[in-house]
Amino acid sequence: MKRRPVNLIFGAALVALVTGAALLSLVWTPHDPVALNVANRFAPASATHWLGTDQLGRDVASMLMAGARTSVAVAFVAVVLGALAGVVLGLTAAALGGLVDDAIMRLADFGFAFPALLFAIMLAAVFGPSLTNAVIAIAFVNVPTFARVARAAAHQVWTRGYVLAARAAGRGRLAITLDHVIPNIAAPVIVQATIEFAIGILAEAALSYLGLGVQPPVPSWGRMLAEAQTLLFLAPHLAIWPGLCIMAAVMGFNLLGDGLRDAADPRLARAR
Amino acid sequence: MAPYLIRRLAGFAATLLAVSAVVFFVMNLLPGDPALVILGIDSTEDARAALRAQLGLDDPPLLRYAAWVRGALGGDFGQSYMFKVPVADLIRERLAMTLTLAVAAMALTVALALAAGVYAAASHGRAGDWAVMAASQVGIAIPAFWLSILLVILFAVVLRWLPPGGFPGWDDPAGAARALILPATALAVVQAAVLARVTRSAVLEVMGQDFVRTATAQGLPRRRILWRHVLPNALVPIVTIVGLQFANLVTGTIVIENVFYLPGLGRLVFQGIANRDLPLVQALVLLFAVAVVTVNLIVDLAYLWIDPRLKGRVG
Amino acid sequence: MLAVAGLSVAFPAGTAVRGVSFTLAAGERLGIAGESGSGKSLLALSILGMAPPAARVQGSIRLGGAEVVGAGEPALRALRGRVAAMVFQEPLSALNPLIRIGEAIAEPLRLRRGLTARAARDRAVALLGEVGLPDPAAKARQYPHELSGGQRQRALIALALAQDPQLLIADEPTTALDAAVAARILGLLAELSARRGMALVLISHDLGAIARVTGRLLVMYGGDVVEDGPTAAVLADPRHPYTRGLIAARPRLDAARPPGTPLPAIPGAVPPLPALSAGCRFADRCALARPGCAVPPPPVAVAPGRVAACWAVAP
Repeated sequence: MKRRPVNLIFGAALVALVTGAALLSLVWTPHDPVALNVANRFAPASATHWLGTDQLGRDVASMLMAGARTSVAVAFVAVVLGALAGVVLGLTAAALGGLVDDAIMRLADFGFAFPALLFAIMLAAVFGPSLTNAVIAIAFVNVPTFARVARAAAHQVWTRGYVLAARAAGRGRLAITLDHVIPNIAAPVIVQATIEFAIGILAEAALSYLGLGVQPPVPSWGRMLAEAQTLLFLAPHLAIWPGLCIMAAVMGFNLLGDGLRDAADPRLARAR
Repeated sequence: MAPYLIRRLAGFAATLLAVSAVVFFVMNLLPGDPALVILGIDSTEDARAALRAQLGLDDPPLLRYAAWVRGALGGDFGQSYMFKVPVADLIRERLAMTLTLAVAAMALTVALALAAGVYAAASHGRAGDWAVMAASQVGIAIPAFWLSILLVILFAVVLRWLPPGGFPGWDDPAGAARALILPATALAVVQAAVLARVTRSAVLEVMGQDFVRTATAQGLPRRRILWRHVLPNALVPIVTIVGLQFANLVTGTIVIENVFYLPGLGRLVFQGIANRDLPLVQALVLLFAVAVVTVNLIVDLAYLWIDPRLKGRVG
Repeated sequence: MLAVAGLSVAFPAGTAVRGVSFTLAAGERLGIAGESGSGKSLLALSILGMAPPAARVQGSIRLGGAEVVGAGEPALRALRGRVAAMVFQEPLSALNPLIRIGEAIAEPLRLRRGLTARAARDRAVALLGEVGLPDPAAKARQYPHELSGGQRQRALIALALAQDPQLLIADEPTTALDAAVAARILGLLAELSARRGMALVLISHDLGAIARVTGRLLVMYGGDVVEDGPTAAVLADPRHPYTRGLIAARPRLDAARPPGTPLPAIPGAVPPLPALSAGCRFADRCALARPGCAVPPPPVAVAPGRVAACWAVAP
């Protein structure tokens, strides 16, 4: 029980670190993250190059900061798109019920048959690998999850006394959804979004690692790992930093999500 | 019981049909011309038109879909553009690799997760519990492919105990096993981190139930109570998560085969993408999705086997 | 065979059992009566060394020649089921839902008595027959949810009998059952105790049940034993104001009570742990309370073989 605020604080700190680095990289990085300098390759860590340089002489610290930008941006867009579509579907299912509800939830069940990577593979095969396809694939797999969370939460709101009273008073389903349902499902949706953010960062890293995501020369943690893997016997340290960054970002959002969930619903906190 | 099975199987068939439709129609939005891909840009328009007619690409999409499904049901997924051999043969060659990796990883996942989760629950609130929970938090955040790289650095680069990648073929069983140790471990550790948490909270919940007190009052050993009385009653949420994790495992094998240069279905799908080999990618995506749906069906049926009370309720 | 002396069970929130002493001879039948919160179930669990981990147990419990308080897990396991066994209140939740009745009873026989699988199975069926289940061989193959409430309670009693204990503790064994079934279960407990020479502790809030089965009665309130004596004598001539209140609050068919008047009830309820007073704990609900009650009353002999703890009943 005492660990609850620790989750929240530690998670928020990691998230602030990662998003801070991402935002900072928009205006400043120690060096140009894509500038090549083959004469200065595999430089060790030093005052100029904090974490050294890679096989093409690029500054590793700068690449990591720019990689944070890519990760956060991809996860953010994918989660927002997925959440919007999913929440609209979930709200519709809860508001209309009956056949519409059944149909939407069947669709959601069915969506689980396509993990993000499979969907990205299909898109890559059709349109070629690209950042946009990666974002679409990650967003797409978020839709069923958000639809379920939103529907479950909205369903509870619809059975409450004041909603029944509003219906009896002749308020329409849309008005009730806007006035009562949306404000009351915000908490679970935000918690889910935080957790999906972590999943999004992992998915972006995996897709970029496989070459299905961000294309060169845009820096990405996943691609840095793919490049470092070919040099494991030569420069194993290059494979350490990007992985640590992914881990820190994912852990940060997971802990933040857990902390927010516990704060929103203390009854659940005990079971975890 | 029987009506439930029939309904469940009908739903399963419907889902498979829907999955195949999505795969087919998404893949066939392709803006490019397969004939161009096969014959190259030096080919004449006449030759390409002839090939399109031969492949049936000019038929209406619904007809082509029907033909594809009919073929797939009979194990015929068409001809690979790139390898110029039947897709089914390519899959058959590489299936053993992926299947072995997936099954080994899943078995390792379950073994690791049950041991860690039950141990954490049994030492609830003490140091062992805290350590398992902290380790699982880290495990959840590690990408499997990075863990693979770390394992390769440690066991292949530094210690030189195991190969960094590649596969010697099934004729060398010891070599094959050695080649699979690191990939299966990398997949399992990450999945087990999630499953251990679920196991812990499910076991903790069951430990508070009355029949555990009855077993204790019989003087049964604590270990026996945990594994024989508590764990089976905690299996429903655990099996649910195992089912969901299978989807991750399927995509996980795709990634891990590429990390370790293993000649399985995951490598094949990337060769297909690189060459825009539609029939190949289409068949593989369908196969992966079918595996996920099938495991979900198995999970639903496993509930009935775990809990005899459910048999009376479904109908 | 059981000697409890100065037993206290304390939680961080307060003391739930306070200085309880009593002895029980082989084959004796003892009733423990009291409302919920009186500490009677906790007392029963403490006898088997099964008080919750947060509880601090002090004093002495000698069970079959061994000391329970402070004993380690192996020593306690040697006592549980063999020397003393326990039957719990809610037979459905007290039986493992995933284990067939016969296997539940055979398990301790195999593990603790070293019986072979076949011998244990036969013995389980015999025990089910002994507790009066019709067609015990068929019942042994059923799951708990397939039996009726009374049958489940009989099965639970058979499980408790499996290791031929010298003492059977039944904690509210009939609360979850309807009246006719409850009466038959009580009859069964009395009969088993007589036939096997097995001591019985019957914990109940129902004085009628205790009157039917036991020869001696312990009345508990707020963790204290307030009255102790032969059951018939205590019920006929209660000395402690709380015992009187309990007897007056019993619904009776023969009472000369004008229709429509409510049953006399003891005002209030047992207060939660932290609110229990340091003195006589019944004082806030007692009509005879006086300033002296702020000091805990010592047990006083009020008649041959009878003890009550109340300042108002000093002889």
